[in-house]
Formats: sequence, structure tokens, C-alpha cells
Amino acid sequence: MEDVKNNSGQNLGIAALITAIITFVLAVMPCVGLIAVIPGIIAIILASVGLSQASRSNTPKGILIASLIIGVIASLISVSQVFVASKIAKNADKWPNEIQNIVREVQDDVVKDLQDANISIKIESNGEKVEINTTTQNKEKEQKLEELEGVETQKNDTLQQKK
Amino acid sequence: MILYSRKNKSDQRSHQKLTDRPYYIINIVFAGVIVLMLIYSGIFSPEKNNYPVVCIHERLTGVTCFSCGLSHSFSLIVRGRIEEAYEWNQYGMRVFLFFFAQLLFRLDFLRLSLKRPENIKQLIIYDSIASLIIFLISFWPFITNIFKDLFASFAV
Repeated sequence: MEDVKNNSGQNLGIAALITAIITFVLAVMPCVGLIAVIPGIIAIILASVGLSQASRSNTPKGILIASLIIGVIASLISVSQVFVASKIAKNADKWPNEIQNIVREVQDDVVKDLQDANISIKIESNGEKVEINTTTQNKEKEQKLEELEGVETQKNDTLQQKK
Repeated sequence: MILYSRKNKSDQRSHQKLTDRPYYIINIVFAGVIVLMLIYSGIFSPEKNNYPVVCIHERLTGVTCFSCGLSHSFSLIVRGRIEEAYEWNQYGMRVFLFFFAQLLFRLDFLRLSLKRPENIKQLIIYDSIASLIIFLISFWPFITNIFKDLFASFAV
């Protein structure tokens, strides 16, 4: 009976150590590090159960303590990966808005640049050439319009002095 | 007297076997896991892109992580296409070498522990130290990246 107890504690220790080491290697890799917390918890449970059995039957606890320490460190690394991933995911929600704002800014800049641009389009087809030249120069047009409106408004708005 | 000493020796041997068993089992299991990993890399090809294990980090965050492309890299290394392996993941080669070195370690330490069971404690100490050093060398970029990300997320 005693031998069975000893063996069970030792077997748990072996299982816990193997699980803990595999968890440790997995936890370091971000691809699978997020789910490494599951085998980490399993390793901790196995080690703690094994430790309780070993303390009852006074058997060596070296493997069990080592597996518990490795399991805890691996689980902490995995939890930190979860924390980092959640932060990235939170920021990722903000990124579309930021990208949208940047696109809008670029769009505005392009529109502003085009306001005073001279555009020429050349089309060649079967020896025939068509050239279209156009200038937007919206600013000049706006100025002219304002001048014209200004003159008109001045004419309209000025009260005629009574003689 | 002779009978007593023989019995004592046989008791010692049986006791050694019991205490040494975990080390044998651990070595065999890890060697098996690494062989399975090599088989996995050999079965799944980068051309078909039929890997069952996907990057959970990328699935959750939409951002590729530091270890993305390791499976492709391993498959290419197994097939001898080293340059392409570097393109998939620049640290693929050093991680693969870690696992390959571990496979050799497991087999060699198992052989040594069976050959000289009286030195098993020394063997375990040498094995632990050597494995830890190789692990740190191979995974150092990953470890530093984890801490960088962690500090950066705390800063944000």
C-alpha cells in the first residue's frame, strides 16, 4: 500500500514536470503562449496533489517542487501574454478610427492641392490626338467672385445719401 | 556475510532503479515529443499550407506575432530549404536547433544514465544547466520580446 502511494506521488511528479516544461516552452512563443495557461494550471494541480501525497507518505519532493515552480513561472508568462494580447486587441479597435482620420487628412490635402492645379489630359488613339487642358484655380475664381459680389453688395448695400 | 552483501547490493540496485525511473521516463517522453514535432513538420507542407495549429495571437488581435511562421520555417528546414526558412521566421533555425539539440541530449543522457546509474545526480545537474543555457540562447529574442511588449502595454 505504501509502495503504491509512493509510486502515485512520483508518477504525479513526472507528469507534472513534463507538463510544466512543455508549458514553459509553449508560453514563450506568442502564437501558442495564450493557451499555455491551461497546461500550466494542470501542471500546478498535479504538482500540488503530488506534494500533498508526498508529505503524507514522507517521500522525496524534489521533482514535485521543481514542477510546481516551473508550472507557476510558465503560467505567469502565459498570463502576461494574455495581458499583452488584450492590450493589443484594445488598441486594434482604435486603429480603424485612426486610419480613417489619416485617410481623411490625406484626402483633404489632395483636394487642397487640386484646387490650384493645372490638369492636362492627353489621349492618343490611332494617330488621333486629343488634349484637354483645364485649370481649376478655384482660389482665383473665388477671389473674382468675392470681388464681384463685393462690388455688387457695395452697390446694393450703400445707402444713397439724401441730398 | 557474502550473502548479506549480495542482498544489500541487489537492494541498492532496486532502490537506484526506483529513484532513477523518473529521469528515464522524462527523457523518453521528451525525445518522443520532439520526434513527433519533427514528424509534424515533415507531414505538413508549406506549399499546401495545411497546418492544423494556427496563430491564436493573430486570430485574436489581427496582428502577426514574433513566432508567426515557425511551423513553415520548421517544415522548410526539415526539407533542407534553409534560406526560405529564414524568410518565414528569422529565429526558426535557432529554435529548430534547440529542439534538435534537445533530442540528442535526451538520447545521450538516457544512454549515460543507463550506463552509469551511480552518477545520475551529476548527470541531472549537468543536463539541467546545459538545457537551460541552450534554451536561453535559442529563445532569448522571444523572452526579450515578451518583456518589451509587457512594459509597452503597461506604459500605454
